[in-house]
Amino acid sequence: MDNTKKTILIVEDEKSLRGALVDFLLAKNFIPIEAKNGREGVQIALSKHPDLILLDIIMPEMDGMASLKKIREDSWGEKVPVIILTNLSASKEQLIDYKIPSRPTYYLIKSDWKLYDIVKKIESILENK
Amino acid sequence: MDKKTIFSTSNDTIFKLKILAEEKESVRRKLVVTANMLSLKAKQLAATAKEKENVRRKLLITAEKLKKSRETLEKKVLERTKSLEMARAKEEAILLSIGDGLIATDKIGKIILMNKTAEKLLERKSTDVVGKVFYKTISLEDERGVVIPLEKDPVSIALHTNTTVATNTTDPIYYTRKNKTKIPLAIMVTPVILNKKVIGTIKVFRDITNERQIDKAKTEFVSLASHQLRTPLSTVNWYAEMLLAGDVGELNPKQQKYLEEVYHSNQRMVELVNALLDVSRLELGTFTMEPKPTDITELTQNVIDEQRPQINTKVINFSFSSEKIPLINADPKLLRMVVQNILSNAVKYTPKKGKIRMSISLKDKKNVLLKVTDTGYGIPKNQHSKIFLKLFRADNVRDKDTDGTGLGLYIVKSIVENSGGKIWFESPKENRGTKFFVSFPVNGMIKKLS
Repeated sequence: MDNTKKTILIVEDEKSLRGALVDFLLAKNFIPIEAKNGREGVQIALSKHPDLILLDIIMPEMDGMASLKKIREDSWGEKVPVIILTNLSASKEQLIDYKIPSRPTYYLIKSDWKLYDIVKKIESILENK
Repeated sequence: MDKKTIFSTSNDTIFKLKILAEEKESVRRKLVVTANMLSLKAKQLAATAKEKENVRRKLLITAEKLKKSRETLEKKVLERTKSLEMARAKEEAILLSIGDGLIATDKIGKIILMNKTAEKLLERKSTDVVGKVFYKTISLEDERGVVIPLEKDPVSIALHTNTTVATNTTDPIYYTRKNKTKIPLAIMVTPVILNKKVIGTIKVFRDITNERQIDKAKTEFVSLASHQLRTPLSTVNWYAEMLLAGDVGELNPKQQKYLEEVYHSNQRMVELVNALLDVSRLELGTFTMEPKPTDITELTQNVIDEQRPQINTKVINFSFSSEKIPLINADPKLLRMVVQNILSNAVKYTPKKGKIRMSISLKDKKNVLLKVTDTGYGIPKNQHSKIFLKLFRADNVRDKDTDGTGLGLYIVKSIVENSGGKIWFESPKENRGTKFFVSFPVNGMIKKLS
């Protein structure tokens, strides 16, 4: 598929992981945007309206779950697809949003997912949007 | 008077006097005889008297002796009684002062003794429970608060099987006090045997709240550490993946091979961390269980398809059969872990060209039975009891497959038992294969969210 001009916001505090995601997404013709923490992530999301958000959970300043809550409060943000990309295992509270179909939220464990498969997932979500 | 008369008179008198004298003499003689006799008698009497006196004296001495010995005896009895009482009191004091809770019962389970620690721990008075049947008086519960049935009560098991029954700190028994506080207990019940007959039990128990807290802290630490470990693992994974895909230029064959080693090792580490996290979730009780109607045959077929490459590589003669099984109520994610582990163990521990048979059947109307038979290395008999222990790996396979974590069967057992199922195996001899059995209730798992 043609990924050109599809913007992906990467909210991740770990530089090395962010770097790998940026490089791989660029190689697959996406336009990656970076945010170093949750607060930055919310700001950029609400101002630049990316096509999809990759969201880490444990971050300084504002964590991923709080960020997601802020994003979902926005009328645009309510419907944006979000992939929670974390190394935490999900607990009940974290999965509440996950169950609401109008708020497309996915949940992937970083260490279990190849970059290749993450991009496949992103493509399939964007295709069905 | 004339002379003649005088003479005759005198003669007469003399005569008379003579007779008198003779009489006197005879009397005197008689008297002498009598006197002699009397004297003899007196002597005899004196002798008798002396003898009697002797006897009396002897009797007196004997009486004195008797009196003395009676006194000594009385003293001794008193002393012995005292020391016996002391010994008994000492023994009782020792029993009552033991730092662990102690309850003794007779052979029908009636409480005959409860020590101070037990009184304090259970917040019950010894006087209120002694003489009552243990099971009815002090009821124990499992983690979920369900009262432990009589046949599973340690005291009754000890009485019936004549063996020592012990619970461990990872699987405690609980007691709820009157004020509703719940305490975890580690219990050991030993049958008391006298003349080869069980005459009662001694139950020793202690509060393991602290151990449980430490255990929990340890598990939480493992969980936290594992999550932290995942970040660098993801980094290695992703960069190695990009290098291997040639995203930043072609690698030469050696570089490719080395990097594959790096990638493979990193994958192993990811798997190990995942297994550790599963273990910590199981131990913390934060494993979510979301049962839904699941087709176990289809699920198993998927697992087999996944492992087909390994089965084919080892040229294993594999077959799978399944009866028509109704949908069972189970969390597919967990059920999958169980089937996956059992099958991958069979594949891993069966040499090339071996045989593996897998089947699913309805054991009875309530239980589904999964059976996996292989012709592999088997489990050494002396390690049968350890095979489900955390991080344990049998001696005969440790060098054959170095990738194993020793966590698989531990996780499987936890899942199966948490779902009300059972797991067991048969491995009669080394290198003669192993049969694993898992039975699952059709009604299945109970929903549990963390």
